[in-house]
Amino acid sequence: MPSDYAYVGLFLIFGVAFVLITFFFARLLRPSRPNPIKNRSYECGETAVGSAWVQYNVSYYIYALIFVIFDVELVFLFPWAAAYRSLGLFAFVEMFIFIMILVFGLAYAWRKGALKWV
Amino acid sequence: MNLTLIIPEIFLFLWALLILFVDFFTAEEKKHRLGPLSLVGIVITVVLVVFSGQGQAFGEMFSADYYSLSFAIIFLGSAFLAICTSIDFARERIKHQGEYYALILLSTVGMMFLAASRELLSMYVSLELTTISLFVLSAYLKTDLKSSEAGLKYMILGAASSAILLYGISLLYGITGTTVLKGIQAELVGSAFPGPLLVISLVFIIAGFSFKLAAVPFHMWAPDVYEGAPTPITAYLSVASKGAGLAAMVRVFFGSLLPVTSEWIPLFMALATMTMVLGNIVAIRQSNIKRMLAYSSIAQVGYILVALSAASELATTSMILYLLVYMFANIGAFAVVIAFYNHSGTDEICEYAGLSRRSPFLAISLVIFFLSLVGIPPLAGFVGKYLLFLAAIQKGYYWLVGVAVLTSVISLFYYMNVVRQMYFRKPTKNDPVKVSWSLRLALVLSLIGVIAVGVYPDPFVSLISKAASVFVY
Repeated sequence: MPSDYAYVGLFLIFGVAFVLITFFFARLLRPSRPNPIKNRSYECGETAVGSAWVQYNVSYYIYALIFVIFDVELVFLFPWAAAYRSLGLFAFVEMFIFIMILVFGLAYAWRKGALKWV
Repeated sequence: MNLTLIIPEIFLFLWALLILFVDFFTAEEKKHRLGPLSLVGIVITVVLVVFSGQGQAFGEMFSADYYSLSFAIIFLGSAFLAICTSIDFARERIKHQGEYYALILLSTVGMMFLAASRELLSMYVSLELTTISLFVLSAYLKTDLKSSEAGLKYMILGAASSAILLYGISLLYGITGTTVLKGIQAELVGSAFPGPLLVISLVFIIAGFSFKLAAVPFHMWAPDVYEGAPTPITAYLSVASKGAGLAAMVRVFFGSLLPVTSEWIPLFMALATMTMVLGNIVAIRQSNIKRMLAYSSIAQVGYILVALSAASELATTSMILYLLVYMFANIGAFAVVIAFYNHSGTDEICEYAGLSRRSPFLAISLVIFFLSLVGIPPLAGFVGKYLLFLAAIQKGYYWLVGVAVLTSVISLFYYMNVVRQMYFRKPTKNDPVKVSWSLRLALVLSLIGVIAVGVYPDPFVSLISKAASVFVY
């Protein structure tokens, strides 16, 4: 029924209006006392140096990627280790396979020279 | 839990790792041998898929049935043909060949899982495995600006469309309280009036899947990505990635949303009409053959959507058969484009002048593939289109079939333009175009497919109709 699709339009209008109205009321309610220190861009408490529009070395990206993989591995390892006694052999084998896949990933990264800082 | 059902998927995944592993110890000038090695893996997987049993695993999530079987064979077939067409291209122009083949295999694993999943979230995860590998593959020519652009565009739009799809899934989950397709169907049968929330979630889900299918108006990424990506990847994208979108879409809509057909059939009819008209008309103006094939493949999706709006057993049969037929014809046509590109380094249609004299085999193959894409008997495209349109006519959608037939006639114009260049124009160069064994294999297999399905479609139709009977219409 075509009239049903009017809901899609309503939904769209509501979605946009919701954001605008929230911003509008926030502007009405909040105090506005800007000062130079407040307006500075936030960099984890450090004083900002230079522009953010510089090229980063692509090696950072590869390191970050490898770090994330092993970070996520830990997220899976902790609950498994905590519930190890009740999970039994099957979970052990499954975790072993999971870690083996990650080890292959590490071997791959190593072999391809991703761990070397160029 | 029945792990034996996913042996083919596990095997193909391990084979992809094996390719990466062998790649460690292979000298650069021998790396092109990884291509044939991946072909071996695919052939073994096909055997495993055919002989592995049927049933369900992981609760309702994974179901090995005739439906997943026929899609798996199409995906493996297109990966096989795409790798065949890759071998020379990769040796000449691609660095990191090991990862190239491994990524193709990994994305095929994702597609196989996608066709077999009967639950929205496992479907979504498999879709991501498929598309993330394809993002990397489209950007594979690192030093080529167009390829990087293609990869970036595909990734950003693909991520956006995944978000849209996921949003639709979340709404559907909100309405029905389950992500299992069967459960969704049961919930929807019970409810008296579907309500606006369902319509919204349907719109989001259709938009998300239409991106993957490159249906108008969600097609804008396709021509740029198809033009920029390495040509064998374009061939693979245009068939397998569309097939994956279709497999998921048919599973979702015929597997769970049949109780509310009146809500989504008009949407598919509108999409089909726009896709056929725009795809076919814009293709006329293209001077680059990859862009022309991109628009032609958009148009082909339009024909498939005609049957999707019919929502019957015949419709499912015809869509899967058409995908098979389209795989042979489209990858075949791309194989010719790749063979020509490997020789001359250009994709411009005007450079095809006089190809019939430089390589009669390539020219006649391209003519056959194009005729099949148009749907001229006795080639396979005719059988495919006949069944697609028959499904729509049975439901009384005469005007939709009218549009489809008219736009097919328009498509004849741009396909025949290439044929005119090849046969009736004088060649600018006279050196014969050489075709390597792997490309020859891809071409011959595609030719056999296009002719065999066209001349004797019965066994294919009866096999695929078993896949269609998975759903209760």
